[in-house]
Amino acid sequence: MLDALLGKIWRRRLGKMATLGDGARIVGRIWVRGEGRIHIGARVVLDASVAPIELHPTYAHSEIVLGDDVVVGSGTSIEAVQSIRIGERTRIGRYCRLMDSHFHPTIGERDVHPQAVPLVVENDVDMGGRCILVAGAYVEHHVTICPSSVVTRRVRAGSTVRGVPAHVIDAGSGGPK
Amino acid sequence: MSDVRDTLLDRTLSAMSEVLEDPWKLRDVAARTVALARGRIAFRDCERGRRVRAFGDVRVVADGRISLGDLVFFLGGMFPSELVCHRGGEIVIGEGSGFNYGVTIEAHGRIYIGKRCIFGTMVRVEDSTRDLSKPITLGDDVWVAHGAVIAPGVTIGAGSVVSAGSVVVTDVPPNRLAVGNPARAVPLDVKRAHAAREA
Repeated sequence: MLDALLGKIWRRRLGKMATLGDGARIVGRIWVRGEGRIHIGARVVLDASVAPIELHPTYAHSEIVLGDDVVVGSGTSIEAVQSIRIGERTRIGRYCRLMDSHFHPTIGERDVHPQAVPLVVENDVDMGGRCILVAGAYVEHHVTICPSSVVTRRVRAGSTVRGVPAHVIDAGSGGPK
Repeated sequence: MSDVRDTLLDRTLSAMSEVLEDPWKLRDVAARTVALARGRIAFRDCERGRRVRAFGDVRVVADGRISLGDLVFFLGGMFPSELVCHRGGEIVIGEGSGFNYGVTIEAHGRIYIGKRCIFGTMVRVEDSTRDLSKPITLGDDVWVAHGAVIAPGVTIGAGSVVSAGSVVVTDVPPNRLAVGNPARAVPLDVKRAHAAREA
């Protein structure tokens, strides 16, 4: 009951900064910071019942797009400097972190943001809990990412990846077209 | 670090000129002021340098000695940071180091963190497991990215970077990049390292 009420309040707050699709469901608190654009597709579930979910489109030109029927778990943080796009029917587990910039360079002046690389997760991806997707990650459709993996590069359609940094443990058949 | 030495008056004047230039900056200035006050309250049992700031929740247990250098700051976010020093333990954090939210630092023995280190979100640094306790040392200018875990007894050299999600169980030399679980040290210039391997 209280959850439903809180959900309504946060939905209203989110609604001011984001475009919400029909039937999008929000449970718990969503932290939204930044000046960019957020699009939340139809029937998206943002399940922040255990911990808040963070959506940060940092700058005015940044964008976060969640496709239709996406499910995002508690404690997940999506931080876009340029753009993060999540495809339809993708499931994101708990405590994941998706970012399209490293925010600091490994060499040189640490406070200068390096170039952001748009991060794309295509349709029907299944992402386990505590995954980290950093700049350079491009996850094609029907990929399974095992929990606690760190994805840094392109993952081919239909494959299963695991580990830090993630490697392919099952190349799959390319997934249903 | 010239801004460490300048006076309160200088800082107030510069903050005022900042606000006059762009009134929206008032929010930032107010946030910084609140953070200073929060730092004083949160780290009241610690040895603090000047202008130690807490922009969010920090849980501090100072049964041992915690020393924070000038300009150390803790950012706020979805999860509180934790700074736990048990009886007889020691945590030393060098000046200018910054911590994002959800960082856990727990010491039974000694944890030394150098100057100007950057800690990403959800990093864990604990110097003890159930049956061993070894000191952890991080050099100056170390950057530890999101979700990394530093195991007991590890020394990380100055200027090194620990990549996101890594579990560091062995020492990392200076100016290297630690990646993986368990972490291995590779050159900092990742692109050049890749090019050298392919050539």
